[in-house]
Amino acid sequence: MKRLGLLYLAAQNLRRKPFRSFVTIAIVGLAAGTLFSATLLIGSVDRSLEVGMERLGADLLVVPEGYQESGQTALITGAPTSFYMDGAVLGQVSSISGVDQASPQLFIESMVSSQCCTGHVQIVGYDPGSDFVINPWLAQNLNRTLNPDEVVIGSLILANKGEQVHFYGHNFDVAGVLDATGMGADESVFMSLDTAYLMAAESAQVAESPLDIKPGTISSVLVKIAPGANIDQVSQRIKTTVPGTMVITANELSRSVTDRISGFKRGFIAVDAIVWVMSLLTIAAIFSMIVNERQREIGLLRAMGSTRRFIFRLMLAEAVILTAAGGIAGIFVGGAALFIFKTVITSSLGIPYLWPPILTFVELTFITLSLAVFSGAVSSLYPAISSSRLEPYAAIRQGE
Amino acid sequence: MTDEARTDDAMIVLKDLSKAYKVGPSTVRAVDSVDLEIPRGQMVSIVGHSGSGKTTLLSLMGGLTKPSSGRVIIDGINIWNLSDKEMSQLRNEKIGFSFQFASLMPTLNAMDNVSLPSTFSGRPHDNSRAVNLLKLVGLEDRIYSYPEQLSGGEQRRVALARTLMNEPRLILADEPTGDLDEETEADILEIFRRINGEGVTIVIVTHSRAVASQAERALRMHRGHLSEEADVGASRP
Repeated sequence: MKRLGLLYLAAQNLRRKPFRSFVTIAIVGLAAGTLFSATLLIGSVDRSLEVGMERLGADLLVVPEGYQESGQTALITGAPTSFYMDGAVLGQVSSISGVDQASPQLFIESMVSSQCCTGHVQIVGYDPGSDFVINPWLAQNLNRTLNPDEVVIGSLILANKGEQVHFYGHNFDVAGVLDATGMGADESVFMSLDTAYLMAAESAQVAESPLDIKPGTISSVLVKIAPGANIDQVSQRIKTTVPGTMVITANELSRSVTDRISGFKRGFIAVDAIVWVMSLLTIAAIFSMIVNERQREIGLLRAMGSTRRFIFRLMLAEAVILTAAGGIAGIFVGGAALFIFKTVITSSLGIPYLWPPILTFVELTFITLSLAVFSGAVSSLYPAISSSRLEPYAAIRQGE
Repeated sequence: MTDEARTDDAMIVLKDLSKAYKVGPSTVRAVDSVDLEIPRGQMVSIVGHSGSGKTTLLSLMGGLTKPSSGRVIIDGINIWNLSDKEMSQLRNEKIGFSFQFASLMPTLNAMDNVSLPSTFSGRPHDNSRAVNLLKLVGLEDRIYSYPEQLSGGEQRRVALARTLMNEPRLILADEPTGDLDEETEADILEIFRRINGEGVTIVIVTHSRAVASQAERALRMHRGHLSEEADVGASRP
């Protein structure tokens, strides 16, 4: 036996005009979905940046002159690149006042050919003696250094710990898989600098396509500045002291990502604001129509003994049901769209991406749903108040 | 609820009751200085031409519209001294309205339509009473039918069953048999007579002299004024 309650009556009323209900749900869903997916995207970029920069652990990155942009891109998105400079740069950088630690890295772009390599990825050779990026992870997870035939891989490389990967005629055991950062490291393979030089040297004999990398060559120098030193001043000193190099600061790297996404953010804010306003106006218009259409019914309900408060709550309940349904649909569709098109979006915008923790999902879902329901309640407020204030007799007569 | 101006044995007392509307620059007095007392259990008809103020008077009696002046006392209660909640409770518990149009909720089936007044009363939900009332009006086989699946006469009978759901002590019926065939009209009048026999006060607004003749007392509205009509109880069985 069902109870004829407020929600039942509201739901029955909404079923009466399924197309109108669907349109309302769709427009609220569009607003909620845009908000949910865009906020999720922006939050994921921020989180990725935070985790990625922490993993990078460097304040400055010294690269050959002219490779600032591709260096940034490689670090942010993992787009494979290769550029080289003389290893002597390391010594020059290390000697500069304000530099606490400096560690070289060598970038090697693998080939797409499956005979050559396990995917088109960025191979990064690091110096176990001075590194402060991979070593801490190895110390924590393996409690040893890498053997010459071992690599650690980013979370998006298609291999597992204990499996083998293949690059330029060499097989490497995967000693570990790094935690996801959302940045370029996820699509990189890390090996020691000596292993990278050896692989390059032997590639002429064992690889389909040889590498032309001279021992001692490096691609970049990661720099940690001394406590109390000024990043900009140290950066300036490097630029002036070490000719042929450019310096990327961690701030610039963050700013680069921020800049890439700022246009998207502005667009999103504008679009979502328009969609929300449209949504509010649509709901207000629809509920004004509903009140006009149902004046007689409202009058009859009052004649049967419903209070003004009941009528007000009935109208509000209808709005809340519609907007909650729209909110849920929007969150589901927006989330699914982001999941499906994440790669396209991140690669076209050149931004890092790291799914947020589940708690963030829950919070964002709650906020989006609350906002949708609140918007529905606010925009239906005036029609709900108007309907509750109708004099029963006038409502019945006007509905004739 | 307030309990002022109690007149013993009167279900309805109207004192110097008026209702005026602004129509453009002029004022129309739909109900003009009406005094009336209807004892409990009486069946009263109100006749009059269209626009004479009959429906407005009925709405004033049921608290559906606020008088411009005067008092409406139902069962000893000056209803316009009540809060909205108290007034709603009074309408729900004491008054049953029957309108001149099919007044069913289109999204509810016959049983839910009949049960609707109980939603506002806070009483335990009782489908069996709704079913019994539908039996009373001869629609026990249409319990789950929606208004669009019912004929006009059937809809009116469902509405009548709904009027009786909360066992009102006063029924205000506005043209309850208008547009109905003679057989359905007779059925409905028979139901009115039966519940009137149980002590329920009934006020029927009608154009029909046949319907009016069923009442033990007839009143006539003319340009907002109410007067007693002679010789109307003759055909009452």
